[in-house]
Amino acid sequence: MTGLIWKDFLIMRKTLKSYLLIMALYAVLAYLDILNYGFIITFIQVALMVLPISAFAYDEQAKWDRYAMSLPMGCRAMVGARYLFVLTLSLLTTALGLASIALLTLFRAEDPVEMVVTLMVSAAIGLLIPSFLLPLCYKLGPERARPFLYAIIFIPTIVLVLLFKANILDLSILENLDVLTTAQLIGYALLLPLGGLALLALSCLVSFHIAAGKEY
Amino acid sequence: MTNCIEIKGLCKSYGDFSLQNIDLSLPGGSILGMIGENGAGKTTTIKCILNLIHRDAGEITLLGHDNIREERLAKQDVGIVLDECFFHDTLRPRDVGKILAPAYHNWDQKLFRDYLDKFHLPEKKLIKEFSRGMKMKLSLSAALAHRPKLLILDEATAGLDPVVRDEILDEFLGFIQDEDHAILMSSHITSDLEKVADYIAYIHQGRVVLSDTKDNILDSYGRVGCTAAQLETIDPRDVLRTRRGSFGCEALVKDRTAFSRKYPMLLVERTTLEDIMLFVGKGETQ
Repeated sequence: MTGLIWKDFLIMRKTLKSYLLIMALYAVLAYLDILNYGFIITFIQVALMVLPISAFAYDEQAKWDRYAMSLPMGCRAMVGARYLFVLTLSLLTTALGLASIALLTLFRAEDPVEMVVTLMVSAAIGLLIPSFLLPLCYKLGPERARPFLYAIIFIPTIVLVLLFKANILDLSILENLDVLTTAQLIGYALLLPLGGLALLALSCLVSFHIAAGKEY
Repeated sequence: MTNCIEIKGLCKSYGDFSLQNIDLSLPGGSILGMIGENGAGKTTTIKCILNLIHRDAGEITLLGHDNIREERLAKQDVGIVLDECFFHDTLRPRDVGKILAPAYHNWDQKLFRDYLDKFHLPEKKLIKEFSRGMKMKLSLSAALAHRPKLLILDEATAGLDPVVRDEILDEFLGFIQDEDHAILMSSHITSDLEKVADYIAYIHQGRVVLSDTKDNILDSYGRVGCTAAQLETIDPRDVLRTRRGSFGCEALVKDRTAFSRKYPMLLVERTTLEDIMLFVGKGETQ
C-alpha cells in the first residue's frame, strides 16, 4: 500500500511543489499583514481538495486501476491508499497551519485562539469534502464526479446564506461562544476535524464497496 | 507436477458476448500462446485469470492457488505485461521501482536496474518521452523484477518493430529455461507464437476451438488448394473448413498425411497458425 501512496505523491509532485510555493508566498503575505490568516488556510485546504480528483484523472488516463488490480494487493489496498493520500495531505496542511500559527504568535504576538479555531474548521472541511467526493469518483469516474465538487462546496454555502437572509438562521447563537473559556473553545474546535476523520473512515468503507463491485 | 495455470469450466457473460466453458492448462517450463480474433475472448480470459472481472462460473488456479480465495498469494509469483504501459507519463523508471517494491515480497531493486540497463532504458527519463517499444520493455522489466514464476502477457508484442519483438521473445525463451516457469501469451502475431510457443489455444467467439501442442498442430494440419469442382469431390468429413475465392478454393484438413493418402491427386501444404485463424474466422464448414 505504501507504494500506491508514494505513487500519488510522485504523480502530483509538480502540483505539490507549486502549492508549496504559493503557501510560502502566502505565509509572507500573512506576516506582512497583507492577507488574512483565515483566508489563506481555507484557500489552501480547498485547493488541496482538488488534488484527489486530479490523482483519479491521472490514473484514469494511464488506466492505472486495471494494472493496480493485477498486483498482489487487492482492491482494499488500492482504495485505502487513496484515502491515506488525502489524509496525509490534510495532516501536512494542518501541521503547516499550526507551524505558521506558532510563528505568527511568536513574532507578531497575535492571539492564536481564533487562528486555531479557523484552522480546525478548515481542516474539518478539508476532510468533509473528500468524504463525499471520493466515493463519487469511484462510482462515476473523475470527470463526471468533478461537478459534484462544486455542488458540495457551493450548495451548502448558498443554502446557509439564503437561510440567514430569510432570518431563519440566527447567527446570534455564535455570540454565546464568547462565554466559553479558551480551553473549551479549542476543545470544541478539535472535535470538528475528528468528526471529519470519522466521516472519512465511513466514506472509505463505501468506496471499498463500490470498488469491489467494479470490473477493471 | 502442478500446472502453472489451470482453468476449468470458465464462463463469463456480457449479454452480447460470452466466454463458454473455457478449459486450459499451462504446464511448467512452457509457453501457451492464446490466439483469436479481436473480441474472441482472449483478454476476457486473462481478466478472469487476474480476477479483474467477476466470472459467472468455473475455477482458476495460479501456481496451485485459487485466484480468488488466495488472490494475493497467487499473484505474488506472477508477472504481468498487458497490452499497454500503465505507468503514468509523469513518472520515471526509477519511480516505478519505488512504487512496485512494496507490493512484492521478492522485489529485487538491483535486478530491476539490471533489466533497465539491459533494455537501455534511462532511469531518470520521463515515461512520456519513451517510444512504445521502450514502454513495453519497461513493463517487462517491472514484471520480471520480483522473480516471478509465471508471466501473463496480453498482446505484449503488438505494435513493436521486429527487432524489439525478437529481443523480447528471446527474454521469454530465457525465462522458461527454468522448469518451474511458464508464460501465458495472447497475441495476434502468430509468427511470434510459432517461434516461441509450446502450446496453442485458439479462442473463437468465446470458445476454445483448438487446443494442442504447437508441433502437433503445425505437423498435422494442412491446407489444400483446389478448384471448386475438386472440392465437391472431397468427403465433407475430411475437411474442417473451406474458403472459396474467385481464383479457386482452399480447405483446412486436420491430418494432412491421411488426407494425402486418400486424395493423392490433391496438393496438401503445411499450414500456419495464421492460415488456421483465417479458415476459422472467414471460412465455412463444408
